[in-house]
Amino acid sequence: MRANEPLVMALPKGRILSEVMPLVRRAGIEPEAAFDDPSSRALQFATNISNLKIIRVRSFDVATFIANGAAHFGVAGNDVLMEFDYAELYAPVDLKIGRCRLSVAARPDLIKQDDPSRWSHIRIATKYPNVTRHHFAARGVQAECIKLHGAMELAPSLGLCRRIVDLVSTGQTLKENGLVEVEKIADITSRLVVNRTALKTRSEELGRWVDRFREVADAA
Amino acid sequence: MDDLASKSLLPNGLRDGLPPDAAHEADIHNLVLATFAARGYERVEPPLVEFEESLLNGAGEALALSTFRLMDPVSQRMMGVRADMTPQIARIATTRLRKAPRPLRLSYGGPVLRVRGNPLQPDREFRQAGVELIGAEASAADCEVILLAFEALKASGVTQLSVDLTLPTLVPGVCAEMSLDAAKVRKIRVALDRKDAAALAAIGGQAAGMLGRLLDAAGPVEKAMPALASATLPPGPAAERARLIAVTEVLQREAPDLVITVDPVENRGFEYHSGLSFTFFARGVRGELGCGGRYLAGHAGEPSTGFSLFLHNLLRAVEFPPPAKRLLLPPGTGEAAGAALRAQGWVTVAALAENAEMAAEARRLLCSHFLVGGSPVAVASEGEN
Repeated sequence: MRANEPLVMALPKGRILSEVMPLVRRAGIEPEAAFDDPSSRALQFATNISNLKIIRVRSFDVATFIANGAAHFGVAGNDVLMEFDYAELYAPVDLKIGRCRLSVAARPDLIKQDDPSRWSHIRIATKYPNVTRHHFAARGVQAECIKLHGAMELAPSLGLCRRIVDLVSTGQTLKENGLVEVEKIADITSRLVVNRTALKTRSEELGRWVDRFREVADAA
Repeated sequence: MDDLASKSLLPNGLRDGLPPDAAHEADIHNLVLATFAARGYERVEPPLVEFEESLLNGAGEALALSTFRLMDPVSQRMMGVRADMTPQIARIATTRLRKAPRPLRLSYGGPVLRVRGNPLQPDREFRQAGVELIGAEASAADCEVILLAFEALKASGVTQLSVDLTLPTLVPGVCAEMSLDAAKVRKIRVALDRKDAAALAAIGGQAAGMLGRLLDAAGPVEKAMPALASATLPPGPAAERARLIAVTEVLQREAPDLVITVDPVENRGFEYHSGLSFTFFARGVRGELGCGGRYLAGHAGEPSTGFSLFLHNLLRAVEFPPPAKRLLLPPGTGEAAGAALRAQGWVTVAALAENAEMAAEARRLLCSHFLVGGSPVAVASEGEN
């Protein structure tokens, strides 16, 4: 990465993107047409700002790109930030979108006679092994995590484990799979995330974007 | 082949330095140490391994989790491999050099070893080079070391430098003043470490509100200073703020090409620091080039400051020098003739056996030139590196 190269903004694919784009547009950033074209396979997009381009990646990869300085700022949920806990990531603005919870869920019939105070070890299927381990370690329980990348809700019904840790928004998916939410680990919203070195060395231009997004998020 | 591959595997975070990188790193190391020496910082050379109890004493305590331990079979005592050289220099200054006049200026350079890297910087062994200025309370001392770090980095060829100034005692000071309980302080600390404004706001209370304003203030010095100056601080942090203001004024005057940012609530990496601290970055270069700041040395708590540069990161921030001009000498070239060529700046490589094709031989040995009738001739371009 050299000096006057354009700023790179990383946005998450999928569910959150439709909530993120109105904020991005209100902040004055308009990506090229290919961005909204579902048939386009492009991964990088120019914007109306000559010095700014957008990349679209998986939400976990947003954090990795920004932490490594490959993108300078972007949008990621605090679930991702909690999972990685990169020292190089700053999350200065709560965008107040993508609201949900990171929760423990279980099949009620399987945990009916369970006494959590006697646990020394439990098995949990999750996309968030670090958060899960920390959460249970804080109460003296060792959590053996089975890392899955999706369809967590299947795990208990097929006997992979009794519990899962996953994002819950309405609880509908849990219900359809015969699961109940038993405990909330954290409230989740999307944050504007900035690379630490970029914020220190290009503080004027990045600072302007941080301020712009803060205004837009507060006005929403 | 399997055997060869398994022999070449090194433990995580460790690596071999190869040509030309190894020589380049050594050159930069010597260059920064010469910069330190020219300002009166005298070299000290602590051992690689020390008794754990002295290594992890005082300023070293924060490094306990990063330190490799081994048992000394001779004394049957536990030893530690240094994870940072600063505590060693502080130990030397306050023990063997306790009678040396203050302020004491010491410099050092060498490898350190850590139990683990982090996901972004997996290196477990790297080279530090730095200075410590022991027994100096005045803000002139802070200015001196920051400007010296700036000079050394510029001399190494790093451009577009910026320094981030911070006050590691500010957050603990504010929390103590408002007598918050430990659990709340820990939550605030985590939120601030992640620069997570939302999490901080969720904690609530007067301290979180005020720290939230300081968090928002982090940025270019012109923006951060007014917010910091208007904050109501307890006496300890307020004194450090006065130091920060004084130092900033000098830096702006003396180093106009240095970008200054202020981050009043930064804490990571400053576990043993007791006052004004700083980190150097270069635009577009991942990781810190160096950091340092105020700490208390020894049992008497002598006010001190200093910094370490991290050579592995620094190397990523500088252009590679052009390859040296290597000259292949035919067998039988006299010592005096070789010495004369070296005096002209050539790196000479002696051919150990006669070879009919000297040009091809020079290319094979990565030489840029070979000797014909006593004068250097360039190797044809396809062989040049």
